[in-house]
Formats: sequence, structure tokens, C-alpha cells
Amino acid sequence: MSMLLEVSGVSVTFDGFRAINNLSINFAKTELRAIIGPNGAGKTTFMDIVTGKTKPDEGHVIWGDKNISLLGMSESEIAMEGIGRKFQKPTVFETQTVRQNLAMALKTSRGPLAVLLHKKTIPNAVRIEAVAEQIGLSDSLTRVAGELSHGQKQWLEIGMLLAQEPRLMLVDEPAAGMTPEEREKTTDILKEAAKTRAVVVVEHDMEFVRRLDCKVTVLHEGSVLAEGSLDHVTSNQTVIDVYLGRAHA
Amino acid sequence: MHRSFLSQNPSVLWFVATLAVFTVIVTLLSEVTGVDMISTSFVKTLGKTLCLCLVAIAMDVVWGYCGILSLGHFAFFGIGGYAIGMWLMYARTEGIVIESLSSQPIPPTPSEISDAIGNQIFGVVGSSEFPWIWAFADSLFLQLLMVIVVPGLLALVFGWLAFRSRVTGVYLSILTQAMTLALALYLFQNDSGLRGNNGLSGLQNVPGYEDVSQATISILFFIASAFALGAGYVFFAWIVSGKMGSVVKGIRDNEARVRFLGYHVESYKLFIFTVTAVVAGIAGALYYPQAGIINPGEVAPIASIYLAVWVAIGGRGRLYGAAIGAAFVSLLSSWFTGGGAPNINLGFYVIQWTDWWLVLLGLSFVAVTLFFPKGIGGLFDLLVRKQS
Repeated sequence: MSMLLEVSGVSVTFDGFRAINNLSINFAKTELRAIIGPNGAGKTTFMDIVTGKTKPDEGHVIWGDKNISLLGMSESEIAMEGIGRKFQKPTVFETQTVRQNLAMALKTSRGPLAVLLHKKTIPNAVRIEAVAEQIGLSDSLTRVAGELSHGQKQWLEIGMLLAQEPRLMLVDEPAAGMTPEEREKTTDILKEAAKTRAVVVVEHDMEFVRRLDCKVTVLHEGSVLAEGSLDHVTSNQTVIDVYLGRAHA
Repeated sequence: MHRSFLSQNPSVLWFVATLAVFTVIVTLLSEVTGVDMISTSFVKTLGKTLCLCLVAIAMDVVWGYCGILSLGHFAFFGIGGYAIGMWLMYARTEGIVIESLSSQPIPPTPSEISDAIGNQIFGVVGSSEFPWIWAFADSLFLQLLMVIVVPGLLALVFGWLAFRSRVTGVYLSILTQAMTLALALYLFQNDSGLRGNNGLSGLQNVPGYEDVSQATISILFFIASAFALGAGYVFFAWIVSGKMGSVVKGIRDNEARVRFLGYHVESYKLFIFTVTAVVAGIAGALYYPQAGIINPGEVAPIASIYLAVWVAIGGRGRLYGAAIGAAFVSLLSSWFTGGGAPNINLGFYVIQWTDWWLVLLGLSFVAVTLFFPKGIGGLFDLLVRKQS
């Protein structure tokens, strides 16, 4: 089976610090994957590289059926290729309504002229409502995003990702600051999304990762330390030493 | 679509209606109708103020909505003024020259006429040659085109270079200041081809309308300025509403997020920067015939800073706020500096407003920024809240 995204031999150095060290990691077209690792393991830098924010010093990032290289593409081009990203801190447009936030993310033409002459259509409204339904914000479409609770903002940002209809969703700590019920719902949203696309979740919270019930990749010092089921990686002695050992110390 | 645009923006109808009523009242009270309650010079002041309001709403779009603190938009305003001033000066001098030469026994050749016009215009900087930038000065149509093309092109090239390199924030502000400073320094040179520090003058005289009184011309320019402001307001309100408005405000609030949504942020910034520069050019082209003179001092860096101050005091992020701020501060400024405000005698020191106005303006700017970040326009929120 050909891969959706192949990252191979990627390294990046910031002021002499090797944030990513010969990292190789692949994602299938439909899968749910959790990436865990201690602080500084390179999780966020990995996302920065895939989404075009950071240019690696060496290595390849190959995308899609046509095997195109994502290196050298701008952030917006990569986003248009079908890679969506949710930030660690919920970043929604706080002065705008939930509907406006989703409308902006909706997969439509992104050129300035098309956007200037953009007209609201019924199919688009239906799509927005469908996404709102998925994230449980149907009743809040006219609310200003800044008024939402922390958990709702997280969902709105996930909703914006869904509205983009990406083939790969990179989700950075979606459960941060959520109540147990909210976490459960977030798990459901992500699992549902992963049925039709690849969803990569970076998470600190082991309980949340266990609930996702998916393949886990452990990053450490910028490269893959272990990969497999959560039970498999947590029983790995090296993982316990570098990650769990330190976390519980 | 059109209905929803206006229903989303009730302020557009209010603004246009208020402007229309104001225009009619000023026209009726002017010298033209014989009522003569508003002097011609004050009509000019009001007309100029409307042009400043127009450039202020352009500034608000680029800064208040898109988050680009351009401190160089008055350069585009000045270029618009120079562009129209070149035609006004050329055509008027041509008329005078032809008339004075017509009394000669031998009819003058075209090159004699051209030399005489050149002498008249450029004698003041010790030259009589027409510089290449005056190539279109004999054509009103082409110079009107220059009002749009030159600011637009400058903004496009400057913006492309700056935004492509992802220059943002205070660095971009400094670059725009450098741009307007460079333009002013260039224009100050005698061999710039635009009469150095003399600038272009006599612009209040419109060629072909020598028999029409200044009272009529001033009221026509006033109405034209009001029309331009109204049209500009509707145009910008349309741009900052709907999906374009969402994206533009998104860029202001979180540029990176918009980028990861797949929008090419640089194109949007370039679009907003260029469109607002063109409107600033149009505003300048209407302003300077009413002012009568333009010189390089007009595009000095401080002018663009004032523009930002007007918008901040008026309330950025709302178009009527910018217009109110520009009108309020510029009228107040001419009242204080024109000797209208009575000096305050403290016994040991006399506060002369011509000197102290800037201090007052600076203090109010600081006060607004600290205590009323929404500016004068924010007062309307209180009004609406009381009603509901």
C-alpha cells in the first residue's frame, strides 16, 4: 500500500541544537496515529516541517499519490494540497462568529478575487452546518468565537480542520484543558475523522492516547524511538527510561 | 447578496445619508446660492476635510482591518496630488502663454510655445526643459490615469518586495516611513522635474473655467469630494464585509493561522495595500486643487503619522470611526493653529496654541490609546447598547 506521507531522513538544527535527527516516519491514507514524547522530542518541529513552516536541513518529505515533495512549497500551498493543522493553543478568530470561522476554512477557492466576489450558497451553508453538527456547535453558529469555552474553541478549531477537508490532519494536543466528558467527545470526533483520512494526534496525556486506541509513535531527541500499540511501546524498556521514567520521577 | 451586504452594514446607509445631508446643507449655505453663510474658503476647508476622511478610511482598511501599520500612505495621497497638479499647471500656463504670444505679429511655432511654457513652469528652478515625467501633462485623461496608476504601481512593487520577505509589524512601519521620506527627499531636489521645494502652485485655477468664480469651483470640488468619500466608503465597506473581510481580519488577528488554512496571505496584503494606495491617490487628486498648492513637505514622514493618529483617535477597525477622527482632528488642528483658539494666559506664561497644539494632540493620542482604545467611534457602541 502506498503511503500518504513519507518523511525520510529529515534533520533540522536550530542554533546548533538538533531538534529533528534523521527522522523517518510514514502515514497511511486512512489511519489514526498518536505521537508521544517528552518535551523537546521534536513533535511540534515535525509538524512545522510537514506544514512548511520550517525548512529541514536534509531529508525528504514526499506526499500523496503523485509523490510530490513538500519541501520548497509555501504554507498555503501545502494546506491546499490537503494538509490541515490544529495548533497547540486553540487559535480561532476570536472576533468573528463560529459560522465565519468555519466559512473561512471551508474548502473553496482561496484566491483574493474569488474570495472578494464570493457569494454565500446553500450547499456551502449545508456543509458548514454539517461540520457544526459534528463538533456539537450547531446552536452556536452565530456566536462570536471569543465567547466560546476553552473546549468549544478546541472543537471549533477541529471543525475548521474538517471543513478544509484535508487528507491529513495534524492535531496538536486537542485534549489540553478539557473536562473528561469533553475529552470523550473529542476522541469520538477524531476517530470518526480518521475513517476517511489520516489523523495524526500529538498528545501528552497517556489516558487520552489510550482512549484513541491506535498506533503510537514515540519520539525522542528528534527521532523515532518506538512504534506500535500503546501497550507495546509502554512496555519497551528504553521508552520507560527516557519518557515514562522521567515523567514519573 | 447586495441586500445582505447593506443589511450587515447599517453604518453604510447612515454614513452615506449623513454625508448627503451635510453636502446639501453646505451647498445651500454657500456663496453660490447667494445665502453666503459659509465662506468660499471654509467650503474649501470642508472639501479638503472630506478628502482627508477618504484617505483615513483607506488607512483604516489597511491598518484597522488588515493589521498593516503603514506609515507611508500619505505618499500615495501626495502622488495623486502631484499627478493632477501637473495637468492643472501645464494647461493653465499653456493658456496664458498662448494668449500673451497671440499679440505678436508672427504666430508662434509649437516649439516656441513649448519653450515658453517650460520657462514659465521651470524658470523657478533654473530650467526650461520639460522633464520626461511631464510627457503626459498636456492630457487631462492621461494625468487622471496617472492618479491611479502611479500610486498603485508604487504600492504594488513596494508591497510585493516587503510582504514577500514577510516583513511585518514595526519593521514594515519603518520601511513605509523610509518610502515616504525618500519620496519627499527626491521631490525636494530641484532637478526632480517637479519644481523642487516650490512644488506645484496655482492649482485652484482650473484651465478652461477661468470665467467661473472660485465660489462655484470650490463648491463643485466639495461635492466631488463628498461623492468620492461616499463611493469610497461603500467600496471599502463591501471589501471588509463578507468572506474577504473575514480573511483580512483573520490576517490581522493571526496571520499564521490564515496561512495554514491555505490562503496566500501575501496576495491579500498586497491587494489591500495597493487598493488603499489607489484610493489615497484619488483623495489627494481631489484635495490639492482645493488647497491650491502642493510641495514636497506634504509627503514628509510626519504626514503619514498624523494619518495613523487620526484613525487611532477616531477608532480603528470601523470605517466611520476613521472618517470622524480625520474630520475632527484636522478641523480642530486648523482651528488651533489658525489662531482660532484663544491663548491661555497663566500669568507667568502664555500658552499659545500655535505652539502647544501638537502637545495637546500628542497627549490626546496617548490618552485615547490608554483609556479609549476604541476611539471616538467607540462612543457609538455605548449609544447602541443603551437602545437595546
